[in-house]
Amino acid sequence: MVSIMRGIGLYSYMVGASIRAQLQYRYAFVMNILGWAMTYAGTAVTMWVLLYSFGALDGWIFWELIFLFALAVLSWGVCMIFFFHFRSLDQYIVNGTFDRFLVRPIHPFFHFMAMKFDVGAFGQFLFSIAAVGLAYSNLHLHWTWQWLVFLGAVIGGALIQGGLLVAISSVAFWTTRSERLYWVIMWPLKSLMNYPLSIYPRLVQLLVVFILPFAFVNYLPALILLGKTGRVFAPFWGALSPLVGAIFFALCFRFWMLGLDRYKSAGS
Amino acid sequence: MSLIEVNHLYKEFQVAKRQAGLWGALRSLLRREYLTKTAVRDVSFAVNQGEMVGYVGPNGAGKSTTIKMLTGILVPTSGEIRVNNLIPYKERQKNARQIGVVFGQRTQLWWDLPTIESFELLKQVFQIPDHRYKQNMATFADILGLDEFLNTPVRQLSLGQRMRADIAASLLHDPLILFLDEPTIGLDVLAKERMRQFITEINRERGVTVILTTHDMSDIEKLCRRMILIDNGQVMYDGELVLIKDLFGKERVLIVDLEGETDSFSVAGAQLVKEEGNRKWLRFNRELTTASQLINRISEKYEIKDLTIKDTEIEEMIRHIYEKGLAVYEMNSCRIENNKF
Repeated sequence: MVSIMRGIGLYSYMVGASIRAQLQYRYAFVMNILGWAMTYAGTAVTMWVLLYSFGALDGWIFWELIFLFALAVLSWGVCMIFFFHFRSLDQYIVNGTFDRFLVRPIHPFFHFMAMKFDVGAFGQFLFSIAAVGLAYSNLHLHWTWQWLVFLGAVIGGALIQGGLLVAISSVAFWTTRSERLYWVIMWPLKSLMNYPLSIYPRLVQLLVVFILPFAFVNYLPALILLGKTGRVFAPFWGALSPLVGAIFFALCFRFWMLGLDRYKSAGS
Repeated sequence: MSLIEVNHLYKEFQVAKRQAGLWGALRSLLRREYLTKTAVRDVSFAVNQGEMVGYVGPNGAGKSTTIKMLTGILVPTSGEIRVNNLIPYKERQKNARQIGVVFGQRTQLWWDLPTIESFELLKQVFQIPDHRYKQNMATFADILGLDEFLNTPVRQLSLGQRMRADIAASLLHDPLILFLDEPTIGLDVLAKERMRQFITEINRERGVTVILTTHDMSDIEKLCRRMILIDNGQVMYDGELVLIKDLFGKERVLIVDLEGETDSFSVAGAQLVKEEGNRKWLRFNRELTTASQLINRISEKYEIKDLTIKDTEIEEMIRHIYEKGLAVYEMNSCRIENNKF
């Protein structure tokens, strides 16, 4: 208990330092937030154009699609705040600066995670909260218990995406480079999830439910939250997001620790 | 009982074999062949509390690998390490509390933040009690002159300032042992001198055991009484610096750039060890011949454009030991015997 409290205290202290460090570059700070918000708004406009000519996409109308997209962006924002630093792990390994995490009396995973609290994610929040709010009112939703599912989806989604970031970063312990892998795995998966899963082939559906569980980030929870019936999976699956997230993250963390062991025996 | 004990330490790495040319590069993409490289080979030594030891060797000799094993960053392939009765790679976090580490080429400070913030963060990370932190900060600010740049972001510090900040940061939690990996690399003469004075003081006043790696012999000469020389992963010499000084300290190398025809160049009292066109390397014993005598003799016959005098370099020492065979292992074992008492 004491160590948990100390952990939280230390984490918030380091997060404070990290935010101050990012505020040193005011211009980059503001542009980062605005830039991300604009990028996502751009994607939303593309969806609008798309639906303007088709009316609906596999039974999903415009505001439903916006909701689906915004839910993914929201949990991605939460994920970025905590885990985005892992994307630069390979640079630390290439420069040899990773060693510093191993000569301090705290857990290296925790230390590395606390080194950067990515405030750029406020751009994601700016867009996604506005978009979820607009979708909520335009679709005339009245949630009660669904708020819990929503919260679960955000937490689970952050853990699933964070887990994958962590797993990808740990490849650098073997190869010293992992940035490319992010573009090969993470980016396509994230883009895939912007649209309803039902439009994709069966193989893709199985992949994102059972192997890299990105369906639990937005599609499955959205089925419950929007009161839709999935043709493929029963809607209650969406309530399992936090559980799936916790399991997936734990596996990815094990993989990272395995990588760290390999780093300690082989160096870089 | 010694503070640090290393017995028959080995570290092997698997290195991918590079093949020449484009075809080779493509082939190695598909099928890689690995070579086993032994970075540290049967290294044994013991260090007592309060000692200051120079761990010396040319680039790639295995210095950093040894330090990384002592600090718990790397796991040895075989052999034993004990640092104050802890096995570093097994109890890494516990070991981290009793050691301070400075890697000369890479800062451990928070790059974008004012220097003082790194100290505050380390206070939190190491759970340093308030009064110790204040005392230490006051002492270091005084000796190292930290005050002038405490509020400057680390990325804007000069190399000398950054090294001073880094060394202060490594000592904040009152470690028993300080590992310095190339602490004077890239520093100018004044900054080097200041750094050396500080290291001496820390060792003398606080009794901190210091192990420092360097390839600058003058660091060792000014700081350490004991030197461990390694080459190719193996200990070549472990003992008093005095012995090495007797062997090599008298020798200097004079490098001269001459004008005109200089074939069949020779000068009495010095041995021509190397030549590149009109640049000559002359080794001499400064107890038999002084540099000025030598320069006089040369300038009688030739026009000297430029000259420098150098100490014997580590590479030179190692070659000498290989050729003449210093009784390394005898000294080595004698050292360990001594430590038992």
